[in-house]
Amino acid sequence: MKKKVKVLWITGLACNGNTHSFLNYPNLEQFLDNFEFIYHPILESKYTLEDIVSFTIDCDVLLIEGSLSPEIEKADKKLFSIINDYSKVVSKIITVGTCATFGGIFRDSEYENISGLHFDETLEVDTFRKIKNKTISISGCPIHPELLVNTLYAIKNEIALKLDEYLRPKEYFAYTIHNGCTRNEYFEYKVDNHQFGKKEGCMFYDHGCQAPFTHGSCNKILWNEVNSKTRAGQPCMGCTEPTFPKSNLYKTKKNMGIPANLPLGIAKRTYLTLAGVTKAFKINRLEKDIFDD
Amino acid sequence: MLDKKEQKKNDIIECSLELFASKGFYNTTIPDIAKALKMSVGNMYNYFKSKDMLAKEIIKFISIYLGKELKKINEQDISTEEKTRKIVEIYFKIALARPEMIDYFLRIYLSNREVFKDGCEGMICVNEFVTEIMIYFEEGVAVGDLRDQDFFSAFGLFMGYLGGMVFLKGEDILPKALDEYITDISYNIYKALSV
Amino acid sequence: MIKLIEKIEGEAKLHFSFKDKKIDFVDIEFLQTRSIEKILEGKNAFDALVINPRVCGICGHAHLIATVQALEDCYEDLKVSNKAKIIRELTLNFELIQNHFKWFYFTVLPLFGYKQAVIKAAYPSQLMSKAIAVIGGQYPHNSYAVVGGVVSDITHTDLIKVEQFIDETHKFFEENLIKIDGKDIIECENIDELFNKQGDLSQILNDIIKNDWEHLGKSYDRFIAFGENSYFTKGKSLKTRRFTNITIDDIEEFSSLNSYAKNVTFKDKYFEVGPLSRAILNKNPLIKDSHNKYEDSLVSRIVARVYEIPQLLKHSKELISQINLDEPSYIKPKISISKITSSGSSAVEAARGSLIHKVNLENGIIKKYDIITPTQWNLSNGTRANQGISQKAMIGLSDEKIAEIVFKSFDVCSVCTTH
Repeated sequence: MKKKVKVLWITGLACNGNTHSFLNYPNLEQFLDNFEFIYHPILESKYTLEDIVSFTIDCDVLLIEGSLSPEIEKADKKLFSIINDYSKVVSKIITVGTCATFGGIFRDSEYENISGLHFDETLEVDTFRKIKNKTISISGCPIHPELLVNTLYAIKNEIALKLDEYLRPKEYFAYTIHNGCTRNEYFEYKVDNHQFGKKEGCMFYDHGCQAPFTHGSCNKILWNEVNSKTRAGQPCMGCTEPTFPKSNLYKTKKNMGIPANLPLGIAKRTYLTLAGVTKAFKINRLEKDIFDD
Repeated sequence: MLDKKEQKKNDIIECSLELFASKGFYNTTIPDIAKALKMSVGNMYNYFKSKDMLAKEIIKFISIYLGKELKKINEQDISTEEKTRKIVEIYFKIALARPEMIDYFLRIYLSNREVFKDGCEGMICVNEFVTEIMIYFEEGVAVGDLRDQDFFSAFGLFMGYLGGMVFLKGEDILPKALDEYITDISYNIYKALSV
Repeated sequence: MIKLIEKIEGEAKLHFSFKDKKIDFVDIEFLQTRSIEKILEGKNAFDALVINPRVCGICGHAHLIATVQALEDCYEDLKVSNKAKIIRELTLNFELIQNHFKWFYFTVLPLFGYKQAVIKAAYPSQLMSKAIAVIGGQYPHNSYAVVGGVVSDITHTDLIKVEQFIDETHKFFEENLIKIDGKDIIECENIDELFNKQGDLSQILNDIIKNDWEHLGKSYDRFIAFGENSYFTKGKSLKTRRFTNITIDDIEEFSSLNSYAKNVTFKDKYFEVGPLSRAILNKNPLIKDSHNKYEDSLVSRIVARVYEIPQLLKHSKELISQINLDEPSYIKPKISISKITSSGSSAVEAARGSLIHKVNLENGIIKKYDIITPTQWNLSNGTRANQGISQKAMIGLSDEKIAEIVFKSFDVCSVCTTH
């Protein structure tokens, strides 16, 4: 009899988007053969919420979804207290989603000191400092189900994943959303006349696409196995980053025509030199609709 | 230290600039330049396959030169207003010390576009120079000193103004020395571009 | 006694008071709020398209459509192509369908003593999520609908792919929920035809009859729906009388004591929203028959919700056949949003019922935003004198376990209600 890894999924201030994204994992049956939820917001579990908060039940991994505040209670028990208790027994903690990692959208709700588990945007939060070395962050709004599931398997198989400065697995977060977007050619050749509703064109120049400087694998591992936001024509909103959400999201902030945020790691001079060169040339194939003759 | 081939190329460029400035672009031939450098014409063609190719290399040479000077200014930890002044200063300084360079840019590059249309499309041959101007503008807006506007409106104002002054100097119309105009010109430019 | 209800997209507390061994009142308490309406104040109008889907992880798409329509309502003379309108309705249908499958297999089965059928809930939901993703990039949480249309430039083969997901979902429905020999459930007009058939829905209906529960969960028999589109009708229904002339101006939202959720009334009365309401307003024959025999009980509510699945699947295919891909997906508004100082509102049928958004813009910045969710309608926490819909449905029942079944038959979404 295979021993299943015991997982507790507990939620703070959330919309449950991560829970539902998780349910889109294609091989759920196989997953549930290997992992057992001692509690989950939707799936049946051996214990009720009241059981989970009343006793510290045997558990291997703690998953936290949603923004956190010392005021939040679950079944009349303080969430922080629940986290403290379980963090002593589990081998790993995963913050599921941008809210639990960085504070996210609900950072501005009206509770005291709302933040992620270890980060409030880019600032470090000390409250759970002692369990930082046990934590892995899977940011995203919502998370991509494969990222969560594969990280759980890595924990099960005792594989130490390399993590970035926000504790996100580099295997997923070292890439940018820009890697693999079908609109890359328009970016490469600075064809910047994109309009909404067109499959042609790159949205970085005018429509606020944050893909070139947002960490994640959305265009490498597609969403729902079929597509991604940028492929479909929606700019990347930077939802895996500590600063999510920024404002004026559908517009590119420019300073005198030059994008204020440049692709990750690219120096300004480099970018402008390349932009200057490519803008000098007109590539006919990229100036017209793909399906035109 | 440049290697011998690169050094020779630079010598050819410097010599060509002087001849273009004194005799005119169309009046100067490759044999003229070769003679001035005491080279054979055949040897000249080893370095530059044609006069048009030479012309393009020269503009790139000037762009790199100006770009380097502007980069030094951009990298200084000074205010946008001070940067503006320094850019005007350096431009006029080069106009005085190396008049053939600015002269080349205004009278040859800008006025003989057909020479440059293949291989110098758009602004690719003045890339280093334009990039530094872009950085000056972008950082000025980012820190809140300059008004955010279309790049070309601002570029035209700055470059047109400077180019115009140098042109007037070249025509001997300006009563005062170029550097006596630096303060007023920097002030005008900064006032026009700032928030 | 207080019962903590879990796994309703969050939690809620039901405070029961008993008299003569029957429930004589239930206080419904929601435990948190995220203050999204406040978070929206001061934000750029279009940012609401990104923030509002995060009101809810299972019906966020309805919030997106409600947001874009409320913003568009702020413009005068804004054009949206038919193609964009149809596409928006399609993806909304897919979300509704996904909700209903999840509710039945995650929530309803355990109420009758069965284990959750995880894969039966997840598989069709994944198909519907894929259908949405082909068009909108991803699911959950996309913001592909923008003021002026949609960002997607879909092609014929995209629609072919979407139709395959629809067909596969329909097949799954028939193989698992209910199979009636020789006919499509859509053709049924007699509720009795649904009993004693193959399928999980039939099984649950049989269980209801077996337990003598078929008349449980009745409330005021008052229904309302505001989200008119090519399939749903706007209107209200009292017993069997229908009125189509209703306006959102007569809606009132007010705080209830002891709960973070607000109550909603229409002309000072509580109304039920949701699939049952929609089917009655559409004069759907099968639901009409169920209503004749079982009124607004558990049976009608459950059947109406499950029955919406094949109806919406069929209607979606019809919608696809109407799409003219040559039309533009997006028509740029003539006026920039930064020049808009105006107010707008919208009503959309989300899975659980009418969802209403109201926005006030000043130079393109949100000054005020109001969201009224379907669960607020159904689970309004009224008083003994004026009971809310689900309260009335639970009062008179003999124990809290039955009450929980009635409560969950409304398909509760705690996160929506505590925005």
